[in-house]
Amino acid sequence: MSTLQAAISTELLKSRRSRVPWGVAIGFSLAPLVMGLFMVILKDPDGARALGLLGAKSQLTAGTADWPTFLNLMGQAMTVGGAILFAFLTAWVFGREFADRTIRGLLANPTPRRTIVLAKATVVGVWGLAISTWVLALGLGIGALVGLPDWSRADAGPTVVAIALAMVLTIGLQTGAAFFAGVGRGYIGPLAWAVALIVASQVLTVLGWGSWFPWSVPAILAGAGGTQVEPVTVGAVGLVALVAFVGLVATTAWWERADQTG
Amino acid sequence: MSELAVMTSGLTKRYGGDVLAVDRVDLRVARGEIYAFLGLNGAGKSTTIRMLLGMIRPTAGRAELFGRRVDAGANELWRRVGHLVESATAYPELTVRENLDVARRLAGVGERAIVGRMIERLSLEPYADRRAGTLSLGNLQRLALARALLHDPELLVLDEPANGLDPAGVIEIRELIRDLAREHGVTVFMSSHILGEVDRLATRIGIVHGGRLIEELDSEALEGHRDRRLEVGARDLAVAETTLRAAGLSPRRKASDGQAACLELRETSALESPDDIARLLVAAGVAPTHLALARESLEDHFIRLTGAETEAA
Repeated sequence: MSTLQAAISTELLKSRRSRVPWGVAIGFSLAPLVMGLFMVILKDPDGARALGLLGAKSQLTAGTADWPTFLNLMGQAMTVGGAILFAFLTAWVFGREFADRTIRGLLANPTPRRTIVLAKATVVGVWGLAISTWVLALGLGIGALVGLPDWSRADAGPTVVAIALAMVLTIGLQTGAAFFAGVGRGYIGPLAWAVALIVASQVLTVLGWGSWFPWSVPAILAGAGGTQVEPVTVGAVGLVALVAFVGLVATTAWWERADQTG
Repeated sequence: MSELAVMTSGLTKRYGGDVLAVDRVDLRVARGEIYAFLGLNGAGKSTTIRMLLGMIRPTAGRAELFGRRVDAGANELWRRVGHLVESATAYPELTVRENLDVARRLAGVGERAIVGRMIERLSLEPYADRRAGTLSLGNLQRLALARALLHDPELLVLDEPANGLDPAGVIEIRELIRDLAREHGVTVFMSSHILGEVDRLATRIGIVHGGRLIEELDSEALEGHRDRRLEVGARDLAVAETTLRAAGLSPRRKASDGQAACLELRETSALESPDDIARLLVAAGVAPTHLALARESLEDHFIRLTGAETEAA
């Protein structure tokens, strides 16, 4: 077994035994459930009022109850939700070593520190992809269960692919959270970073610069902003990949070079 | 091949320009030694240990283990070193067995059975399948020691190895460390606050104060440095004192707090033949009520030394 395989296997064991990744998966599963509920209400507002799902004077302005609307809402919910929940997951995977002071066992160790960082990043990626796949599949199942009209494989296919790519980018961008988990020696740094980025993304998207702000790109790719923002280019996706890579390099450099006093 | 397991030269760590945590420490620890590193809180022990383990970069100077300069990337070196830095920690969601298995995999030890052997060696069998988060401090310490020993290291760097252990556990760990050093040639570099333990275990002692190594001595030299005296008690101390002075001795009256006053003799003849002193006093009609050879403890020596340094500073 190579040192990387050994490190990944230990990180997978730690994450499987923890409640955090499972909590993230459960929390994220609420997104398609809520979107499905919206669709039920949009399909039959009067029926929803009668059942008490919608206030007497309220109305939903999410659009119409059909597959394009549902997938658009799913894409937005998954990218914004993923930015927060995967930052939470990353904060735990990297930050817990500092919060629990278990970092000491990982430092003067035959397994190189960069291998530990890579293993942790891999585990965040594995969990992120697994949770995203589950949530997307759950969404498609709920959409079918609700009986949404206007399903078209030709239309839905590219949207699902765009959401999948957006989730890959969202997960990749968590390398920044990993860096701040080290610098902040715990959970607060990466979570503060994630919240700041979501706010910045919203502001820049409204101002029309979102397509070139790496942390806005996944949501725009998944349909946020509608026709008011410029479409995401290959160059913008490349920029996201570059930022993710820089985050990984910075995290590794910090683990290898910073004084570890925790 | 270097005969030294640990060598530091001018090892210095300065934080933020004005906090000097470790000041030009020169250490030489030969293979097979049990070297105890003593100091008050904040003296620089843990910072030195972290620099030895590549966790902190020295501001100046260097540290070598087995002749190889220590740095964060010295991964091959860490196959030869086991460590326990400050308080024991473990992954709380994993069992004792799983914690050791994680350490085994990261240490590159292929043999899975070693985990069971370490559990047995550190008397952790009753807790093997219990989550580490539920362990007592003492058992957590045993787990951390088991992890440090897992890959059969040639050098053990232990920061407070007896921390949290009950008296029986302290003795058990002392015997384990002694056995590792004597029977298996393992070099031990340890810090401890339990000076009685250090006294029984260490072959050499370094005392660090204010970031500087202020004294380094082996156990025989420590014995020579210690203040030894014969304490003599009698119902009439004045008569006893006169009798001893008449015999050419120089008794000093000691009034210790909470205890009856007594006389102290430091002459070699008195220390080697306390029975002669007893006979002398009996013949003079002041039979001794207390006659005891006392030896300065390592604790007293340590306090005397660090106290003197503080006053001098």
